[in-house]
Amino acid sequence: MLKVQSLTKKFAGKDALKGISFEVGRGEIYGLLGHNGAGKSTTLGIILSMVAAGSGEVFIDGISVRGNPQKALRKVGSIFEAPAFYDYMSGWDNLKVLVGLSGRFDKTAAMEVVERVDLKDRIHSKVGAYSHGMRQRLALAQALLPEPEILLLDEPTDGLDPEGIKWFRDFILGLREDRGMTVLFNSHLLSEVEQMCDRVAIISAGELVYEGAVLELRDDRPGVKLQAEPHEILERVVANFGGEKMPGDRLVFPEGTGIPGVVRSLVEAGADVSEVTPVRRSLEDVYLEHSSLSKP
Amino acid sequence: MMFLRQLRGELRKLFARKRTYIGYVVFLVFEALLLSLWVYVGREQFEDLAKRNFIPVELLSSSLTATYWIMGFSMFLLGSIYFALVAGDIVAKETEDGNLRMVLSRPVSRLRILVLKYCAVIIYTVTFVIFVGVTGYGMALFAMGSEGGLFVWNPEMYILAVYPDRDEAFQRLFIGACFMGLSMCVVTSLGFFFSCLKIKPAAASVMALSVFFIDFVLQNIPFLSNHKDVFITFRMANWIYVLQENIPWERIVESYSILMGLCVSLFILGWMVFQSRDFKT
Repeated sequence: MLKVQSLTKKFAGKDALKGISFEVGRGEIYGLLGHNGAGKSTTLGIILSMVAAGSGEVFIDGISVRGNPQKALRKVGSIFEAPAFYDYMSGWDNLKVLVGLSGRFDKTAAMEVVERVDLKDRIHSKVGAYSHGMRQRLALAQALLPEPEILLLDEPTDGLDPEGIKWFRDFILGLREDRGMTVLFNSHLLSEVEQMCDRVAIISAGELVYEGAVLELRDDRPGVKLQAEPHEILERVVANFGGEKMPGDRLVFPEGTGIPGVVRSLVEAGADVSEVTPVRRSLEDVYLEHSSLSKP
Repeated sequence: MMFLRQLRGELRKLFARKRTYIGYVVFLVFEALLLSLWVYVGREQFEDLAKRNFIPVELLSSSLTATYWIMGFSMFLLGSIYFALVAGDIVAKETEDGNLRMVLSRPVSRLRILVLKYCAVIIYTVTFVIFVGVTGYGMALFAMGSEGGLFVWNPEMYILAVYPDRDEAFQRLFIGACFMGLSMCVVTSLGFFFSCLKIKPAAASVMALSVFFIDFVLQNIPFLSNHKDVFITFRMANWIYVLQENIPWERIVESYSILMGLCVSLFILGWMVFQSRDFKT
């Protein structure tokens, strides 16, 4: 559904993107992860034809964004971090103006979407009086009109309260389930990506440092956070068991290694063990592992 | 049809903003003030002036003449501020506020977006001038009655014309207002051009006004009086020739061709800059 090919971009002579490529299949929820300034928003900007790529190409459902941006964007709905509406107009008038740029404004379809995003009671109020959550729901409504096939979400849950985040997540998952919606999800909220996305790409300093299924990132090797003194004994015992130190003081051991055995060896070697906490590798760990490789 | 629907959306945005109406309110107050001064302070002086120059009093002190004064002497200096303000905002404000990203994510070309915005500010400009004419005339009618013709006097443009017939005077003044509206589109185009650049909306308005007033000042410098034709503000002032007894159409067509050419050039330049810009957070 979305194909991003070897995108490069420079801002003021500095590389912002260095040959980013990935593909998002129909009905897939794909996450883009990275530090602030890693190049996620630039990638999204190029997909939406707001930013001119230095080189490379983007295809939406086979249509080149560079060659025919209007045709390609007809299938796209998008939401930005802190969506900027016309505050002096009502939510309904904002929808009229924005959706009207894509074609005819269908009142019935618009009201259905407004009801779906739970804004019916406030849709005729001025947007200036909306809370952040309401603005985000209005952004969702405008993105869903008229009937996109792919949603591009740029940090959509930023600033939302936990309830709002859950509502948003359930809504997006519901869209995929009901309508087979394809979603490109740009976020630094790693738990969000972990809970929502099928696949993920990690961008660091303009480079794609990882791409794969979210499930593949999970590491079933036993992980543990160990505190013991003296430190030399801890290091020796961990090395004897083939342990590996990961970011965040996490230690991982080869599959089949019993943590009680590691602790017993430490005690027998004369170490004082003060903490043994089993830790599962999170997406955050993976993110830090990969991004730290290319962070300047 | 689609274009008209989109233009309606653009006009809805423009006229939903309170600052769009600042100019209307100021002109209404200004018209009321000027007419009050005319009636309560200036009437005797006008009557005296009329008698000394053998002009019928009802020509000099009439609602149509008052309308001509309101429009002719306030639009260039006062109106230009509002045209530059609204046109300077039209692109730059949306860029600054982030609205433009929502617009650009829609399947519509940048050229079309600019054409819509340009049409909206041109409509604002022309309707504003007509609004000032209509309300000015309405107030003048209320204050001075419907009697009398039109007396036109502009020494800088070498124009002195008298229209005792009210209908003809009204027609001339209406056509003059339309041409004045076209003239003011130049200020709007300047504001629009600067609005397309990567600058703040206030800077776009100030730049447009700066160019306009520099041109105006240069045009009025005595040693440049033989070169007035090269100044935009002189060409803009050519609307007044419509009020000359024998209308010099050739001169009017020449001036307005130049002005329209300038407007189109400013639009194209603005579009070229806008097209090459990246829009990011």
